[in-house]
Amino acid sequence: MASTFAAVFEIVSFGAIIVLVVLGLGIIASMMGIFNFAQGEFVLLGAYVTYLAYAHGAPVWVGMVAAPFVVGALGFVLEALIIRRFYAAPIVAMLGTYALGLIIRESVRGLIGGFYLTVPEPIGGSIDLGSVHISAWRFTIIVITLLVMGGCYLLLARTSFGLRVRATLENPALARASGISTPLIYGATFAFGAALAGLAGALIVPVFSLFADLGIRFLIQGFVAVMVGGVGSFIGPVAGAGVIGTLSAALPWVMSPVVADVLVFVLAIAFIKFRPQGLIAGKGV
Amino acid sequence: MGGAEQAVARIGEEPDVVTGEDAPAARAPAGRASAGWKVLPIVEGLVLLIALVLPWVLQDYLTVFATRVVILALFALSFDLVWGYAGIMSFGQALFFGAAGYGVALMARDLNVTSILLILPAGMLIGLTASLLLGGFLLLGRYPSSVIFVSLGTLTGSYAADRLARGWYYLGGQNGIPSIPPLTLGSYEFEEGPVYYYMVLGILLVVYLLCRFLVRSQFGLALAGLRENEQRIAFFGYKAQHLKAIIFAVGGTIAGLAGSLYAFHEGFVWPNMLGVVFSTQVVLYVLFGGSGTLIGAVIGTVIIEGVSFWLSDNYRDVWPIILGVLLLLVIMFRPLGLVSFVLGERERVGSFGKGPNKKGPNKAPKPKETGNAAP
Repeated sequence: MASTFAAVFEIVSFGAIIVLVVLGLGIIASMMGIFNFAQGEFVLLGAYVTYLAYAHGAPVWVGMVAAPFVVGALGFVLEALIIRRFYAAPIVAMLGTYALGLIIRESVRGLIGGFYLTVPEPIGGSIDLGSVHISAWRFTIIVITLLVMGGCYLLLARTSFGLRVRATLENPALARASGISTPLIYGATFAFGAALAGLAGALIVPVFSLFADLGIRFLIQGFVAVMVGGVGSFIGPVAGAGVIGTLSAALPWVMSPVVADVLVFVLAIAFIKFRPQGLIAGKGV
Repeated sequence: MGGAEQAVARIGEEPDVVTGEDAPAARAPAGRASAGWKVLPIVEGLVLLIALVLPWVLQDYLTVFATRVVILALFALSFDLVWGYAGIMSFGQALFFGAAGYGVALMARDLNVTSILLILPAGMLIGLTASLLLGGFLLLGRYPSSVIFVSLGTLTGSYAADRLARGWYYLGGQNGIPSIPPLTLGSYEFEEGPVYYYMVLGILLVVYLLCRFLVRSQFGLALAGLRENEQRIAFFGYKAQHLKAIIFAVGGTIAGLAGSLYAFHEGFVWPNMLGVVFSTQVVLYVLFGGSGTLIGAVIGTVIIEGVSFWLSDNYRDVWPIILGVLLLLVIMFRPLGLVSFVLGERERVGSFGKGPNKKGPNKAPKPKETGNAAP
């Protein structure tokens, strides 16, 4: 019983991490129609900002709070300077954001070298539930993921900003005619997605430690999750992330990790092939 | 898929604007070409000439490096065929390259087969099989697959293969398969150096000419149409998905050939050969040199590999960043790559059918002729 509970906690906590990473990716893909290959590097940047704050003597949580704002601001600037030119063609957008990601990744690699740098957990120790000990920080990640998910949902569904974003998604021409500045909305959406990635990076760096290829690992899993969930809605990518995260964490318990790793991707691609609209079809929130 | 469709719908009017702007630029070089100046053969001839004299100029270790570049150029050619001509974004081209590399390495290790007459066909066969399977799965089907799905599918395939190779003990795990014996022909052993270089260059030349013939044929014309407007090509009665699957398989075969040559040249294979690293590397080569020109892929490979070799001593850390910036600039301002500085749009596409000064009705574009390509 105790080990089952520990396993379930592992699975849920990994699922939460994937959801956190995918949220930003999914919002950019759904709301703007581009697949952002630099998203993994935004995660990396968030982790790096946290590390920088820690290395300069600030408490870890200060870096974690700062990371989304720094990465979000960078995302806003990049959207205005570069990404904006790519809306005409999704494939060019993939290549352009890939080049951006390459620049960010290699810059970070130049700054930190080939090392694995560790950042301590701001909330250390473990929570004891009878005979089971679960990591307090991983539990915090689950809680924050739930809060961020709820926050994003409320932002998109209940605020006037969310209404503008959805209006721009549904019908850009009509949105412009109604006085919504669609370029600004695209900029803000991209910045928001980038900020979410920054937050994800900041939160997971104590678990995975900081290294230059941190982003790539999550990027492909994230893309697959977005496709499985279904592009176009808010809830789709989240659901996809839940499925992919849970599967990748759960399968290694029943089979060899190598096979499980590959099987998740094969299953996901096969699923998308036969259900291209994803788990949850449709637009909106 | 609502979002993606919406995105396409949203920018639906954009491509027309772009072509409108491009048209004058495309016309100007065309005028130059019709005046009797063909730049493409000159560029190709120059590259071949340089490649031929290279081993006499270079020191031995540089010839070994040049051999590697030529093999990578062959690999780049396979990607250019798939992306530059048919517009299939294969973000996992290294899957075929690496699979063939691993396959022939296993043949050498476990079966003691090193004859070039067996190894190269085997590599091509592995590439062909893998690309037929993956391409058939991703591209064929009742509904056409979206470009995003194909690119993510290939990327994921390559990534998954990388992970599999890393974790599979039989394939050597992280270290790959070391110390592959040299390639043989009878009792002769191909060691690194000028002989290997010329052998690889000869293969590249043959494959290049075959590709050039292919893309200048009716089949190639259909492919170019596929890239520009898939729906219109489908309306003409071509089976767009079949054309894509065929060219994908051709690309995979060439990548397999390159992979088997690479494995025997380096003497070892390792998981990166299958994975995202090589897959994106080849995208860089082709985009940088100029996609859809064949020679652009070769030039891009030579320049990127050459400069990175040059800089690797002093600026190892900065080079990937410069590469990223260059790539971004190319994508933003020169989407047709470096060769577009000297090649006009007209030559890039090539001329089909009978020219104004050619005789003979043999090349008149009739759909019937492609009956074998698009059954």
